[in-house]
Amino acid sequence: MRYVYYALLFLLLLPATALAQATGSLAGKVTEARTGEAMPGVNVIITSLTRGAATNIDGDYDIQGLPAGTYDVVAQFVGFKDNHQTATISAGQETVLNFQMDEDLLQLDEVVVTGQAASTEKRKLSANVEVLNVRDIEEAPVTSVDQLLQGRIAGSSVRLQSAQPGQGALVNFRGVTSVFASQTPVIYIDGVRVDNSTGTSQSLGGETTSALSELLTSDIERIEVTKGGAASTLYGSDAANGVIQIFTKRGIAGSPTVTLRTEQGVDLPVSKFLLDTGFAFPETTTDSSHPDFDKTSFIEDEILKSGHYQNYYGGISGGNAALTYNMSGRLQNGTGVQPSNENSIYALRGNIQASVSEKLTASFSGAYTHSNFERLNNGTAIADPLTTFEVGDAYFFSGADSFDEALRLFLLPSIKENVNRYIFSTQLQYRPSALFSSSLTAGVDSRDNEQRVLNPSEFDIISGDDSGSLNRYDRNFVVVTLEAVGTISYPREGSITSDFTFGAQGFREETSIITANGETFALPGTEDFDEAGTITASEARSQIFNGGIFFKEQLGIGDRLFINGGLRLDGNSAFGEDVGLQAYPSVGAAYSISEENFFQGIRTIVNDLKLRVAYGQTGKFPTAFARDVTFQAVSFRGESAPRFDNPGNLDLKPEKTTTIEGGFESALFDNRFSINFTYYTATTKDALFSVPEQPSTGRGTQLRNIGQIDNKGIELAINARVINRPGLDLSLGATYGWVENEVTDMGGAADFNVGGSSVRAQQRVSEGMPVGVWRPTIPFDSNGDGFLDDSEFQFLDETPYPTQTGSFNVSLSLFRNLTFFALADWQAGSRVFDWGSHWAQFNGLERAPRPTRYDLDGNPILNSDGEEVKFSTTQAGVALLQDGDFLKLREVSVRYGLPRQFTNRLGLLSASVFVTGRNLLTFSRQDLVDPELAGLTSGGGLQLGGEQSITLSPPRSFRIGLEVQFK
Amino acid sequence: MKDYQNHLARLSRWVLLGVLLTTLASCDFLDPTGVENPRTTDEDLAEAPEPTAALLPGLRAQFARAVGGVVIGTENASDNFSINGTGLGGNEMDFPRDIVPNTAIMNSTGQIGVYWHLQELRALADFVLDDIAPNDANASNEQRAEGHYYRGMAYLMQGENFIGVPVEPDGAPLSPSELLQRALTDLQQAATLAGGGEFATRAVAAQARAYRALGDGGNARSNAESALASGGADFVFLQEYDETSVDNGPNDYLVQRSLQEMQPLPRLDFLDPKYVGDESGIPIAKAEEMHLILAEVALAGGNETEAKAQLLSALAVTQGRPTEFLDDPDERLDNDLNERPHTSSITVAAEAGAPFKTGLVLDRPGPVDTPSISGTSVTDADINGATGTVLVELLYLMRQEILFVEGRRLHDLGIRLPVMLDELDTNATINEGDPVTQVSVPGYIPPQNELDLYNPLILYQDGALIATEVTILHNMNRILAEQRGLVISNPMLN
Repeated sequence: MRYVYYALLFLLLLPATALAQATGSLAGKVTEARTGEAMPGVNVIITSLTRGAATNIDGDYDIQGLPAGTYDVVAQFVGFKDNHQTATISAGQETVLNFQMDEDLLQLDEVVVTGQAASTEKRKLSANVEVLNVRDIEEAPVTSVDQLLQGRIAGSSVRLQSAQPGQGALVNFRGVTSVFASQTPVIYIDGVRVDNSTGTSQSLGGETTSALSELLTSDIERIEVTKGGAASTLYGSDAANGVIQIFTKRGIAGSPTVTLRTEQGVDLPVSKFLLDTGFAFPETTTDSSHPDFDKTSFIEDEILKSGHYQNYYGGISGGNAALTYNMSGRLQNGTGVQPSNENSIYALRGNIQASVSEKLTASFSGAYTHSNFERLNNGTAIADPLTTFEVGDAYFFSGADSFDEALRLFLLPSIKENVNRYIFSTQLQYRPSALFSSSLTAGVDSRDNEQRVLNPSEFDIISGDDSGSLNRYDRNFVVVTLEAVGTISYPREGSITSDFTFGAQGFREETSIITANGETFALPGTEDFDEAGTITASEARSQIFNGGIFFKEQLGIGDRLFINGGLRLDGNSAFGEDVGLQAYPSVGAAYSISEENFFQGIRTIVNDLKLRVAYGQTGKFPTAFARDVTFQAVSFRGESAPRFDNPGNLDLKPEKTTTIEGGFESALFDNRFSINFTYYTATTKDALFSVPEQPSTGRGTQLRNIGQIDNKGIELAINARVINRPGLDLSLGATYGWVENEVTDMGGAADFNVGGSSVRAQQRVSEGMPVGVWRPTIPFDSNGDGFLDDSEFQFLDETPYPTQTGSFNVSLSLFRNLTFFALADWQAGSRVFDWGSHWAQFNGLERAPRPTRYDLDGNPILNSDGEEVKFSTTQAGVALLQDGDFLKLREVSVRYGLPRQFTNRLGLLSASVFVTGRNLLTFSRQDLVDPELAGLTSGGGLQLGGEQSITLSPPRSFRIGLEVQFK
Repeated sequence: MKDYQNHLARLSRWVLLGVLLTTLASCDFLDPTGVENPRTTDEDLAEAPEPTAALLPGLRAQFARAVGGVVIGTENASDNFSINGTGLGGNEMDFPRDIVPNTAIMNSTGQIGVYWHLQELRALADFVLDDIAPNDANASNEQRAEGHYYRGMAYLMQGENFIGVPVEPDGAPLSPSELLQRALTDLQQAATLAGGGEFATRAVAAQARAYRALGDGGNARSNAESALASGGADFVFLQEYDETSVDNGPNDYLVQRSLQEMQPLPRLDFLDPKYVGDESGIPIAKAEEMHLILAEVALAGGNETEAKAQLLSALAVTQGRPTEFLDDPDERLDNDLNERPHTSSITVAAEAGAPFKTGLVLDRPGPVDTPSISGTSVTDADINGATGTVLVELLYLMRQEILFVEGRRLHDLGIRLPVMLDELDTNATINEGDPVTQVSVPGYIPPQNELDLYNPLILYQDGALIATEVTILHNMNRILAEQRGLVISNPMLN
């Protein structure tokens, strides 16, 4: 594996400095063709000289020191078509060249980096890369990137966990490719891999916190998404889930521009999925002598509350041709919609980009985020206030005789978490000539969190503690990334062009988790372990290194056919000793057929048509140390007592997903309609299964590469500009995704469960079925007399995750200043396990209807009171599987930009007011569980979601905000 | 000249880069590829100077897990306890005929895993005895004796409670008698190697139990007498736990009882809880059991006088055992949240028509004083007055009470458990429908969960006692006496 390291070192030293001279200058203004407004941040580039500049806030650019001559100059901006013009530079003179930019519905000229190693226009890509640009990001009423992805990426499934702070979504692209590993895509920020774990704390009833929650959307310029397959191949053993690459904002040259933004808002709890205390406590709420008489909506009235949200952002950006900067700070606070859910975020970010020379650019981006928040027990825990009130256990577990007293007891625990996170990225870009460019990226994500759970002694009756307890969970995570890439572009002109990219990339992850527990505290108010009667601690550490070298060739033929071929070779410290380097090849073609002469006849109708096809492999490396034979000792009566741990596997290697995909992108009817379609099949071979050893060996389970999982599906995105005239612009868009998943080979391993309830409804892995398909107990008629008299496990067609997803969006712009945006997303094909209705059964509550049980003679079975007996939830687990279809009106935003005349008078560059709403409406086929929520996701590894206790939906949020910019 | 200088400058820059590269490459502190497993690998273990000694604490802990698993699992499947709530994965164990390889307690590899922990104990002992100790010059006879004892105990508990168990990968299941024979082989080696130490007595006492299970009265008697001779008249060996370590089923379900999952049959209420402290030990072998075995052997030989003498001895030892005081918060709720008997004025009959006995139910929640090693409701007069099947019934009752929560009752009832689902799924020689995959329940065991039931179910209304006489649905001790006879005479090995 050291070869990778040496390759990295060598490439690290490649960039070197050089200088050149020039004698003229080029300047001008860039405006939007439709509105005439100045466009800041547009890149104006003389490609043959590899020189360029970005426009300032007024849309002006200036490139100094150009040698005399005639050049092709291109202006580029995300979401707009490239604008090429010719300029003649004379020594000692300034040449003026203005650009008017046309919007590009298809965005084939958009430049992406992810999976390409070097910047490449989308029209040259043989596999789809989705891009969210700054407008998508700034206008969305979301805090973190996972929320932003909802409804915006075709074919993705993004399910939030609950209303509690600190959590992240379950994100999935292109189906479940593994039965052991998390499906969360890997995430890079400015080229640096970051923590994407969705289980960063101890579970308190099933919910954990997530490292996604601090990936804030402020200061993001662009997000690129590849969903696995050929587009992700260059990420090798880590890319089967896809790659999300985030680029933060660089400064724009010009005098300092200050941006201030303030948001105030209200969060309203969603009680749609609660039957509340009128249902759960039919006896006391109807007994006029009981203190809880008539309190039929105690949860809604006394536990849930509306929350206050506030967010303040300040940023400054500017610079000159040699150095630009962008600095910002953000303060955010929310009180939450249930008790003990207050949360605060403090964030700082700084980006600096320096042109060391004309050929060498150095940039740095750094961010610090501090997040602290409180949480409630939630999930299956007895201590969970929401569940105990909803399912009728509040008196029983608290021992209280009134709701108020029970609630007081349930709210006694203090669950607090602090996160400190630093993400740094440094990049050197060296372009000694138009024929060769190179870059070096190094960076780190360091994330520390500390969770403290204090149960005071008064809570003993619920927790079972003896005089209180204190649990602390510290997780320290560091990942270091190093990447060096070089691209030789030769020939660059003519009918055949070539870009050959080579590089090395590696990362090292270290995780250290320390958990400590103190029990029995003599005095109240104690929050230190030292004062506990007994103290226990444990530790878990892992280290993993992954490194590889890669090559990629992109051959252009006639500037319309592009052949892409690539290869990554990977080594990884988790691979077994008998496993060598792993190769991940890719090959594909992109064909802009609409450029062909024969196409010109219909070009007025089909303005652009690009066809693409690709083959590519990606991988997923095994868990750290899963290859080793290990023993683990635990403390027992003062001795260190070893037992068998991991059985060991010398042949352990990554899961490999081979994707074949084809599709097209097309703009139609005068660029008013665009369509982007992909069909893919993805076969994961050597899928890792945690295989139980035979119990006679006394050893547990071992990861083995024995399985095969197939996915196939389509991704479709369409956009239509319905009205496009000065002063009025109306666009409609929709996405659709369908995926079919099947475990096609289990290598002889027995069926097993990956979630759910083992005795009621299992999330099952079984050959010929989708990963985690539901297998509940189902009542049936055993003797054909027409009456249900027995029950057995049967497979359903549904999974805990959706098989179809989609979204709709509407975008309206009026009189340049007023914009309106709405987004709705939907999912279908899943079922969700409703633990709450199961718990309710123990209190005689039939929250989810169950069928009557008959004897073999066809008579209903009666209990001692002569009442008909229903099948229990153990016998009729299917009754707990609720329909998972939903549609949510996810976002609505209205933004009004104050007129220039007004802002100029105030000395402002711009000012806008916005009103946004999120999670405004939910439509579902049942009202017992919110089908979106990932609910119980404790721990790492594969998380399919699709099961939850009584879990509060993310709130209905309203925000009003003001943003001003001035110099 | 200037060109030359530029050229020289460029060259020297590359030389410097080359030097830097070479220096960096030799810096191990910059090498990111090395990882170190924080756990002990097989390579680490190979370097241990005294591996047998290092692994023995692991065997001790695993023995504790196994005993915990057997006690929790088998007591719930027997009439001694019924399951309240969900903490044990549902109450399927209360319905003996519904027990399947996938029943939560059966298929668990966690603290309640009755099948798993015995297999792990036997496998770890195999590893220590067969792979490690032979190559360990520092392994002592005492260490080997302890290893053989634990393996013997694993076989013994498997032979008592299961229909059959494979003991090697893809091995055919061994029958109960084969398992018990293997237990004897190991226990005899343990006794020999122990050289008269603690493990010698433990091994001999366990042999008495194994011979009883095999129906070999002669050897059961000689070993029981030998254990009493070497261990002393009131010997007891306890498997102790501590609160916070190992998968501690005994602590969670028997000591802490935070959810009060395990509710005793009302006629055994006075014995519960048996383990009241964080470090309470579960008796593994004790003098009372030896007397009970000797009594059984005597009865099998038709010698009621000797049997009564042994029962009186067992009673005497029992009466000398300590009790422990506890302020018990247990509300005695059943699965439907009805209040089970928890008032001392309640009298209990062993079955319909049997006399109602006082003193079997204690007042709870509240202070209780319960036996921590042995207790019984049986008196000298009961023993002296009994004969024939009544005496056999009394023997079963004394075994039920004195060996309460020690994992013996299921064997006495004649119920044998199937293998766990993982075994069925992974062992090539075991197929669905094989005898070892199906619970074995004798015909005399009542249907459904009637082992655990009593009348009337509703005893309290608004907190007030409305019935004071409780009748257990089935007197299993009478049924056993009449229908099974003595275990030693009818070991039901197949």
